Amino acid sequence: MTSKYKEIKHIFIDTVESQNYVELDSMKHNYDLLAESLDKPLKMILLFGRPGTGKSMTLNKLYTNLKDKREIHYFDAPILSEKEFLKSIYEAMSGQHIPQNMRVNFDGLLKYCQKMRGKREVIFLLDECQLYSEALMEKIRLLSDTRVVKFVITLHKTENEDIIAKEHFKTRIWEVIELKNVSEEDLAVFIQKKLMQKGFVEVANSISKRDIKFIHSHTKGNFRETNKFLYTIFNIYEYYDLYEPKKIDPNRFSKKILEMAAIKLGYIHD
Amino acid sequence: MINTKELEKRWYKYKAKTFTLFLSVVMVIILLPYLFYYIYSHFNTTKESDISRKSDFNQTAKVVAKPKEQSGINNSNSLKKEKLLLSPTIPVIDIDNENRKREYPVKKISKSTKKLIKAKKSATLSAQELAIINGKDLKKEKKKINFQHSNANYIEVMLQKFKQNKNPREALLLAKAYYQKKDYIESEKWSLIANNLNKNLEESWLIFAKSKAKLGKRREALKILSSYYKTTQSSQAKALIEKIKSRSI
Repeated sequence: MTSKYKEIKHIFIDTVESQNYVELDSMKHNYDLLAESLDKPLKMILLFGRPGTGKSMTLNKLYTNLKDKREIHYFDAPILSEKEFLKSIYEAMSGQHIPQNMRVNFDGLLKYCQKMRGKREVIFLLDECQLYSEALMEKIRLLSDTRVVKFVITLHKTENEDIIAKEHFKTRIWEVIELKNVSEEDLAVFIQKKLMQKGFVEVANSISKRDIKFIHSHTKGNFRETNKFLYTIFNIYEYYDLYEPKKIDPNRFSKKILEMAAIKLGYIHD
Repeated sequence: MINTKELEKRWYKYKAKTFTLFLSVVMVIILLPYLFYYIYSHFNTTKESDISRKSDFNQTAKVVAKPKEQSGINNSNSLKKEKLLLSPTIPVIDIDNENRKREYPVKKISKSTKKLIKAKKSATLSAQELAIINGKDLKKEKKKINFQHSNANYIEVMLQKFKQNKNPREALLLAKAYYQKKDYIESEKWSLIANNLNKNLEESWLIFAKSKAKLGKRREALKILSSYYKTTQSSQAKALIEKIKSRSI
């Protein structure tokens, strides 16, 4: 005995897979800005924003779109060891495998890059850069100075560090693209597109503007929070569908379930 | 899967909380105009009483000054400066005036008693004649009572008269009529009106206190009467105090 809501809830599991990318007006604008920046003679591009604003998803989408057209590499998980990081850069650029007992010399890597100036342009997409040490960030900057390697990095900071971080990057004349939480309208499109992509048109249509307003008021238009909220909603739907189907109306999105999910996630208190 | 049963319970709790909150907000919205009206009216009455107090104070100064000038010997008069409250305004008792009024009907009675005594003293009347005389007197009294009660429109007529003249005596008569009719709320009201118009009407104090007592507010009645008695030393007030205390009213 399975419920359709089981499938629906899985749509909202938070992933960065490009097939789950939902094109929104605000997201499209940021994506175009990023793609445009890659053509400029900029050494580094910073994707900046609070957690859950779609930084990783945008980076992944960029990689998927450009991997066949340009020399582009995506490090989705941060490589915290300097030795491993330099090794990964060299392996990606040279296509050679470095044995475990050997390491890449940074000066040697710099010279390797300098030799290729004007011949190649390699793009590296680095996610979660707030985890990198300052020393490693400095080495990334020096590598980008060769104009052979271009870095697109994502960074998120806590509220107090937002301005400090932005200022830090601005002084180094890097392109800074800030991603923000989406509006109510964009959130409605995000939810409906996600459902429609998987063929749940009726469910998508049953969600009213009022429901979206309720969701937006609690998630503040944050994608991660929205996914979590909707996953919980459809999790409850699944239970009712299996054990107490009389309690749900398939044509109408239940306000009760919305509120129950909000209680479960601590958005509202009983 | 989520423990939906537990979550549902929490949801019902949440709903009850929001409903209570909504209900209290609605109640506040409904009651707010009443509250404002109450505060407004309360503020107005205090303001009015302040004004009347001021004007009465001026009158008091005049009235109190008179007995001082007239009877400088009476030291006890200084005690009578005390303010006495029946309504929110401050009544001032003109003791001389009150005494004069009190003496007036006494004189009348003494005249009639004199007559009766004379008749008795002459000793020329037989027992039958005396009985006839007494009977006549009784008839006279009966007539008086019948006159008051037979007139069904008495209260209405008095009300109309009062509307035209605003005479405190008429208000007092109305208070008396209502008291006889056992409508103590109205008698209380009219004695208060009479008292407001003329603080020197002793009967207005007495009927007011009697009505209060009849309405079960004995303590209030006693308080009013004792303060009145303190100022006026009225024997009627004292008698009434005793009556109320002994619960014969």
